[in-house]
Amino acid sequence: MSNTTSDDSLITTEVQADSNDDRAASAAETAVAARDLNVYYGDERAIDDVTMEIPEKRVTALIGPSGCGKSTFLRCINRMNDMIEICRVDGDVEFGGKNVYDTDVDPVALRRKIGMVFQKPNPFPKSIRDNVAYGLKIQGFDGDVDKRVEESLKGAALWDEVKDQLDSSGLELSGGQQQRLCIARAIAPDPEVILMDEPTSALDPVAASKIEDLIDDLAEQYTVIIVTHNMQQAARISDRTAVFLTGGELVEYDDTAKIFEDPEEQRVEDYITGKFG
Amino acid sequence: MATDNANADGFGEVSRVRGIVFEYLSFGASVFGLVALGVLLVYVAIDAFDLANASPEWLLTYFLTLVVPFLAFCLYSANDRGVTRRALGALGGGLVAVAALFTAVETLVSPIPRLNWQLAYLFVVGAPATAYLAYVGSGGRVGAVGFGLLGRLVGGVAIGLAVGTLFLVFDPLLWFLAYTLGVLPAVGLYAVGRRRSTPRAQTAAAPVGLAGLIAAVVLRDVVSTYPSDLIIYLWTVAVPVAAAGGLLVAGRRGRTAAAVVAGLPLAVATAGGFLAAGAGLPAPTVLLVLVLTGVPTAAYVSRVVDAGEGLAGLGLPLLLGAGVIAGALIVEAWGVPAPDPWLDGSFLTGAPSRTPTDAGLYPAIVGSVIIIALVAVLSFALGVGTSVFLEEYTPESGPLGTLTRILQVNIANLAAVPSVVYGLLGLGLFANLLGLGIGTAVTAALTLSLLILPITIISAQEAIRSVPDDLRRGSDAMGATRWQTTKNVVLPEAMPGVLTGTILALGRAIGETAPLIMIGAATTVFRAPDSLFSRFSAMPMQIYTWAGFPQADFRYGVVAAGVITLLIILVGMNGTAILLRNRAERGS
Ligand SMILES: Nc1ncnc2c1ncn2[C@@H]1O[C@H](COP(=O)(O)OP(=O)(O)O)[C@@H](O)[C@H]1O
Ligand SMILES: [Mg+2]
Repeated sequence: MSNTTSDDSLITTEVQADSNDDRAASAAETAVAARDLNVYYGDERAIDDVTMEIPEKRVTALIGPSGCGKSTFLRCINRMNDMIEICRVDGDVEFGGKNVYDTDVDPVALRRKIGMVFQKPNPFPKSIRDNVAYGLKIQGFDGDVDKRVEESLKGAALWDEVKDQLDSSGLELSGGQQQRLCIARAIAPDPEVILMDEPTSALDPVAASKIEDLIDDLAEQYTVIIVTHNMQQAARISDRTAVFLTGGELVEYDDTAKIFEDPEEQRVEDYITGKFG
Repeated sequence: MATDNANADGFGEVSRVRGIVFEYLSFGASVFGLVALGVLLVYVAIDAFDLANASPEWLLTYFLTLVVPFLAFCLYSANDRGVTRRALGALGGGLVAVAALFTAVETLVSPIPRLNWQLAYLFVVGAPATAYLAYVGSGGRVGAVGFGLLGRLVGGVAIGLAVGTLFLVFDPLLWFLAYTLGVLPAVGLYAVGRRRSTPRAQTAAAPVGLAGLIAAVVLRDVVSTYPSDLIIYLWTVAVPVAAAGGLLVAGRRGRTAAAVVAGLPLAVATAGGFLAAGAGLPAPTVLLVLVLTGVPTAAYVSRVVDAGEGLAGLGLPLLLGAGVIAGALIVEAWGVPAPDPWLDGSFLTGAPSRTPTDAGLYPAIVGSVIIIALVAVLSFALGVGTSVFLEEYTPESGPLGTLTRILQVNIANLAAVPSVVYGLLGLGLFANLLGLGIGTAVTAALTLSLLILPITIISAQEAIRSVPDDLRRGSDAMGATRWQTTKNVVLPEAMPGVLTGTILALGRAIGETAPLIMIGAATTVFRAPDSLFSRFSAMPMQIYTWAGFPQADFRYGVVAAGVITLLIILVGMNGTAILLRNRAERGS
């Protein structure tokens, strides 16, 4: 990464695309909060005492070198870590006024309120329609399924490309379209939060930029938490940025503009300018 | 050291001798195996159809009326000059080559028993060339339509006969009540729920169906008057099949087409059923065969006519039928000496007998079909259930994980246990302990299911394991329960693999004799089983018994006819299963 610091921004990309300036400025309610969160894989600690509040209807980016626990943190929010047998979580993750790790929380019910998009597009080997309607089907949705499918595909900026082939397989789409299909699938049951784990790292730049535009739109309605490897991307699309460094430590968490222009921590500046990690 | 090499200035040479030796040895071994099997099958077929006594004129007649038109059809469909030239070259050149080689061997080495050069030509050149051309021809539009139609006709007859056979042992009255009270309301509710998108109707379907089934069992002996068997089959099988076909067609091509596709075969089948009843034939079977053949055929024809491509292909069944009739007429008119095949209608519908010419396989065929149907259902259900449990539900670590691994190793070991041992287990457990009876069809079905269960489980596990984890995580993250993920994502993806394993295992079960002997199955029965608890015999048992008879006619002719029947049923069963699997694969 180039570290020309001719202006006061640490990286060359224009920080804060114009559309989300206003969002960052105004204060927002907290959607998800982690308190004293520690995560272990066996004896290995992957998240080290993290406390952070993630605002509602904003894009929050998690950046950091690989292996620093970004995905692990993301999976704590919808309890996908429960599937990993050796994983143990300590501390609280609050969502909707409740600690999701309380014993009376059903993780399956929790995941119905939190959508997730993975690094590699993983549409089901079903028709496009069935892919989008999947969440509705398993939740016993009682309304107009076709209408919801259309809205969700429009929401994922995919409708115009697939409206004539809703019955063909989701696997016939290109990689970028598949990822947008996965986004449509995630938003169809109308969740409150959408988690994205490096959603563009398996895509070409054009497909990636479409997803970036889309994420910007999604933040109108949903709280978006996105893990990314790509610092320009974080700078472009997010309102808040959290920097994790090796060992699962949350080093700095602030408005994106602040992180990229004037970070408090030297380690963060080194990481962002490419001197480290 | 490098200078020691002979080729010091180049790159040198790397020896490939071992690889080449290995390659040719394996090639030779597999060719030897296939040729040996091929020769055996040729002799069995010659015996079963009495081809050794077929005169050259008889062979020529059918070659001209049946084979030549079929080849012409394939060539027309392939529409490729190169293929035509090669085919004619192979057929003509093969004729000269086989005749010359055959005569040479006969005069120089030794006479070849029960084979003449015409037959040798048929098997060595004619059959492979026909198969190859059929394959090439099916690639063309016309050929695809022709074979599609033929497949539906043959498949419909086979399935109709199989279903008819199953109804020999299942109580039609109970089925009538179960269908009317349980199956019909449940399916109706489910369909309405699907159409109106009301999941509540869909979830109600299962309990309603179950309640209906229980009511049917309770009411079976309370109700005293029932409609006749023919009406029962008409109501419970023919009408639903026609309705399903009509609905499928209505979705794609409008109501008139649907009415024709559903109504015409239903009317023909009903008429056929009543006529058969009048003529003393098994009316329900006639009805089932007609409706199960008619509806898919009509739907297919309507689809082809709509698409308007390869219409000429619809003539293929007519072409073949006309060929058979023309051949028979010519043979009759000119008094051409014809062979007297062992494998004929009376062999398939008759009971075993002490005289070879009267001997029939019917009771054993029915026994085998019933057992295989039960084994298929049991081993599929148990196999899928167990493998889903082992793969999706058990943890990998902890005490339960250890237990699972122990189970896993034991299942693998069970696959290697000899079938006689399973026979002993079946005798002890099912026949004696559970009191299902010695030599009964249920005992046999349960024993054979147990025998192939390890194979089905292992192959189903393999298929389930090959479903990418990405898909499971995707479904879990949507808030699906373990069961929903399994049912909606894992099983549909794994199903083709699961079916492949089950099909292979069933092929093994249908030919087993040792466990059947152990559980006391009869070597010969003279009446087809009429309940699950009647004594039965199976095809391999009957064939084995015949092979021990002193008369040569039994040992050659009748046994050969039995073997061919067994093989045809096996191939038909596997073929149907594979076709259905491929459809499922394409559908998903
Ligand atoms: N399923 C797992 N089992 C064991 N260790 C894991 C597992 N997933 C992640 N880890 C470990 O946890 C740490 C953080 O991983 P991860 O959250 O995937 O990092 P990131 O997404 O930032 O690259 C790494 O050291 C990794 O080795
Ligand atoms: Mg990661």
